[in-house]
Amino acid sequence: MRQGESVLQRRISLGEMLDTDSFTEVVKGFVELYRVGIKVFDEKGAKLADIKIGNGDFCGYVFSFPEGRRRCTATVGRVKDGPLALSHGARLPVLEPDLVPQAKGMLTVPCFTGLRYLVVPILWEGDTMGRVVFGPFMPDDLKDFPPRTLTEISEGFDVTNARPLVDKVRLAPEGTIARVMVHFGQLLQTMLFGGQKMFLTSQLHIEATLDSNRELEERNKKLEEANNHLKELDRLKSAFLATVSHELRTPLTSIIGYSEMLAEGLAGPLNGEQVDYVRTIMEKGETLLKLISSILDISQIEAGKVRLNFEPMDALELINGSLSSLRPQVQKKGVALEAKMPAKMPLVTGDRDRLRQVIVNLLTNAVKFTPRGGRVAVTLTEIQQQPDLNALGYRILVEDSGVGIPADQFDKIFNSFYQVDSSSTREYGGAGLGLAIVKSFVEGHGGVVRVASEIGHGSRFTLVLPVAPSSLQQVLITPPVTSVGPADDRF
Amino acid sequence: MQLNHAQRELTVKIVYYGPGLSGKTTNLQMVHQRTSPEVRGRLLTVETHDDRTLFFDLLPVFFSTANGFKVKVKLFTVPGQVIHNATRRIVLQGADAVAFIADSRRAAGQENNAYWKNLVENMKENNLDPAQVPIIIQYNKRDLPDTKTDAEIEETRKKGKEPVVGAIAIRGIGVLETLYTVLQSAYRSLEARAHLAKTIGLTEKEFLSQVFANMDITGTELEKLLPPRPAGART
Ligand SMILES: Nc1nc2c(ncn2[C@@H]2O[C@H](COP(=O)(O)OP(=O)(O)OP(=O)(O)O)[C@@H](O)[C@H]2O)c(=O)[nH]1
Ligand SMILES: Nc1ncnc2c1ncn2[C@@H]1O[C@H](COP(=O)(O)OP(=O)(O)OP(=O)(O)O)[C@@H](O)[C@H]1O
Ligand SMILES: [Mg+2]
Ligand SMILES: [Mg+2]
Repeated sequence: MRQGESVLQRRISLGEMLDTDSFTEVVKGFVELYRVGIKVFDEKGAKLADIKIGNGDFCGYVFSFPEGRRRCTATVGRVKDGPLALSHGARLPVLEPDLVPQAKGMLTVPCFTGLRYLVVPILWEGDTMGRVVFGPFMPDDLKDFPPRTLTEISEGFDVTNARPLVDKVRLAPEGTIARVMVHFGQLLQTMLFGGQKMFLTSQLHIEATLDSNRELEERNKKLEEANNHLKELDRLKSAFLATVSHELRTPLTSIIGYSEMLAEGLAGPLNGEQVDYVRTIMEKGETLLKLISSILDISQIEAGKVRLNFEPMDALELINGSLSSLRPQVQKKGVALEAKMPAKMPLVTGDRDRLRQVIVNLLTNAVKFTPRGGRVAVTLTEIQQQPDLNALGYRILVEDSGVGIPADQFDKIFNSFYQVDSSSTREYGGAGLGLAIVKSFVEGHGGVVRVASEIGHGSRFTLVLPVAPSSLQQVLITPPVTSVGPADDRF
Repeated sequence: MQLNHAQRELTVKIVYYGPGLSGKTTNLQMVHQRTSPEVRGRLLTVETHDDRTLFFDLLPVFFSTANGFKVKVKLFTVPGQVIHNATRRIVLQGADAVAFIADSRRAAGQENNAYWKNLVENMKENNLDPAQVPIIIQYNKRDLPDTKTDAEIEETRKKGKEPVVGAIAIRGIGVLETLYTVLQSAYRSLEARAHLAKTIGLTEKEFLSQVFANMDITGTELEKLLPPRPAGART
C-alpha cells in the first residue's frame, strides 16, 4: 500500500512556485526599468519580493515625525494586508478603456503624502494567491503638493526640505503605472506557470522514485521470505535424510556381517552356487552402505551439522592410504594407477578422515569414468605460496584419461545428486553425491576445488589446500551448492 | 474530492488512464482548445521529445456556483509507458472518476486488458474502491482501419457496467462527450457519498451546465443534453 499524500493533492503556495533568487532578479530588473518600487506578498502576507526605488529619502523624512510614522505605517498596512476590495480608502484606478478588462481587481490606494500605490491581486486558476503592490509613485494629476494631510503631521515639517526629496520619486500618470502593472502581471503568470511545472515535476520525480523503491523493497522482502521458507524446508529434508540413513545403516551392517559369516562357512559349508549368492548379497549390501553413508554425509553437511576435526597430519600418508584402499577396484577395472609425490614433506593441518574421503571420492570417479586400459594419476605438490588462497599451501591433482566432462557442466557436477548423464547411472552407478561432498570438505578447509576436462581425453580435478586452515573455518562447514536456490533468470 | 467548507471550495479530480499512445494527452488538448481561457488554467504538460507524457498532464477548469461555492475540476492524464507505473499510481491518488482511454483497434485488445488490470491494481494500492470511484471507457481512434465495429463495441460494453463513448480525439470527436460522461459519473458518486446538493446546494444539472457553459460544444452531442445557451454566449 503506498503512503503519503502526493504534492498533486494539495494546494501549492506562491513561494513554492517561484524560485526566490531568480524572481527577485526579475523584479529588480523591472523596478529599474520603470523606476517604480514593487512588493509581492503571498496570501498569508509573507513577502516574496520587495524592491524599493526613489522614495526612500522622502519617506524617511516623513517617517522621522511621529505622526508621519503613524500614518505611514497605516498606509503600508493597508496596501499589504488590507482587503482586496474598494474599501478602507481604496478606489478604482484611472484607466485607459482598453486596459479595463486586463486590470481586473486592481486598486488605487492614495498615501496621505499625496503619493500613490496600486495594488493588484495575483490570480491563479481562479484563486487569489497573493498581491503585488506598485509604488509609491507621484501621480501627475496631483495639483498641489504638499497636501494638507502631509503638512499637518508636525510643526517642524519643512516643504523646502521635502521638495527635492520627492522629486526623486517617479512621476507618472496613474494609467501608465497601471499599464506597467498589467505587464508585470503577465510576466508573473508566465513565471508562475514555469515555476509550478518545475516544482510539481521535481516533486513528482522524487515521489515516483521513492514509490518505486518501496515497491522493490516489498518485493525483495517477499522473495527473502520465500527463500527462508525454502531453506527451512531444505533443512528439514536434510534432517529427515540423516535420520533415515542412520536407521538404515544399522540393520544393513548386520546384513553384511551375517552374509560375510555365511560366505566364510562359519555357519557350516556352502556349495559353490550358494557362496556366489551370498557374495552378491554382500557386494550389493556394501554398495548400498556406501550410498547410505554418502547420503548421511551430505545431509549432515546440508543441515550444517558437520564439524571438521583439524589436527597435524602427513599429506604423504594421506595419499598413500587413499591409494591402497583403491587398489582392489583399480585391479578389477584394469587401469594403470600412478602417484607422483615429493620425497619428504612437513606436516600440515587438516581433518585427516575427511580429506581421505575427498581423495577416495575423486579417485573412485577417475577409475569409474575411465575405460579399461586407461590411466589414473595422483600428484602431490610441494608446499608453496598459493595465489588462489593467498596463503601457503599444497595441491593434489587427480587425473584420468577417461570419458571427460562437458565444459558447461563443470559447475553443476558439484551439486548434490547431479550426474552429467543421468542415464549413466545404470552404467556407472552412484548417486551423484561424491563431488558435492568433496567440495564441502575442501571448502571447509578453506581450500578450492577445480576441474578441467576434455571430452574423450580425460579429466583433471585440482585441490588447492592451505597448510593450515584459518581459525575462522575451524568449526562448521558451509553447506555446498544445492539445486535449490534463486532462479537463474532472476535478473 | 476535497471539500473545504471554510474556504467554500470543492475540488474534483478526474484521471485519464490507459495504454501508451491511446490518446489521453490528445483528449486534454482538445478540452483545452474548446474551453474559454477565463475558466481554465494553462494546460500543463511534461513530455519527452517524442511527445510521450513523462509525469502527467494537468488542465484545471473552475467556476463558481450560484451559491458562491468555488468548484475546481482538475483533469489529469497519466503516462502510459509501462515503466512509469509508480507515477501512474501517484497521479491516480484521490481520483473521483477515471476515464479509461482505450485504442479501439482490434489489435490493441490485449494492451487494453493489461492496462485495465493495471488500473484495478493501482486503484487498490490507492484505496480507491471501484464501487465508489466510477470508470468510464472511451474507444478512441475510431478513424483508423481495424477499429472495432459499433456492434463489437456494443458487445464489449455489455461485459461491464462502465459507460462507453466512441471517439476520434484527434478531431475532437467524442472528447467533450467523454468529459461529460465522466463528470456526470463523478458527480453521481460524490452526491451519493457527500450529498452535494444538500450540503453545498450544487445539483448535477448546475455542475454540468456550469462546467460546459464556457466550452464550445457546437457539433457535439452535448448540444442536446445541455440547456440552450443565452444569446451572446461564447461558442
Ligand atoms: N488516428 C488517430 N490518432 C490519434 C487519435 N487520438 C490520438 N491520436 C494520436 O496518437 C498519438 C498518441 O496520442 P497521445 O495523446 O500523445 O497519447 P497518450 O495516451 O497521451 O500517450 P502517453 O502519454 O505515452 O501515455 C498521437 O500521435 C496522436 O495524434 C485518434 O482519434 N485517431
Ligand atoms: N573423473 C570423471 N570423469 C568423467 N566424469 C566425471 C568424473 N568425475 C565426475 N564426473 C561426472 O560428475 C558426476 C558427479 O560425480 P559425483 O562423484 O558427484 O557422483 P557419482 O560418481 O555419479 O556418484 P557417487 O559419487 O555419489 O557415487 C558424475 O556422475 C559424472 O557424470
Ligand atoms: Mg563419485
Ligand atoms: Mg500522454
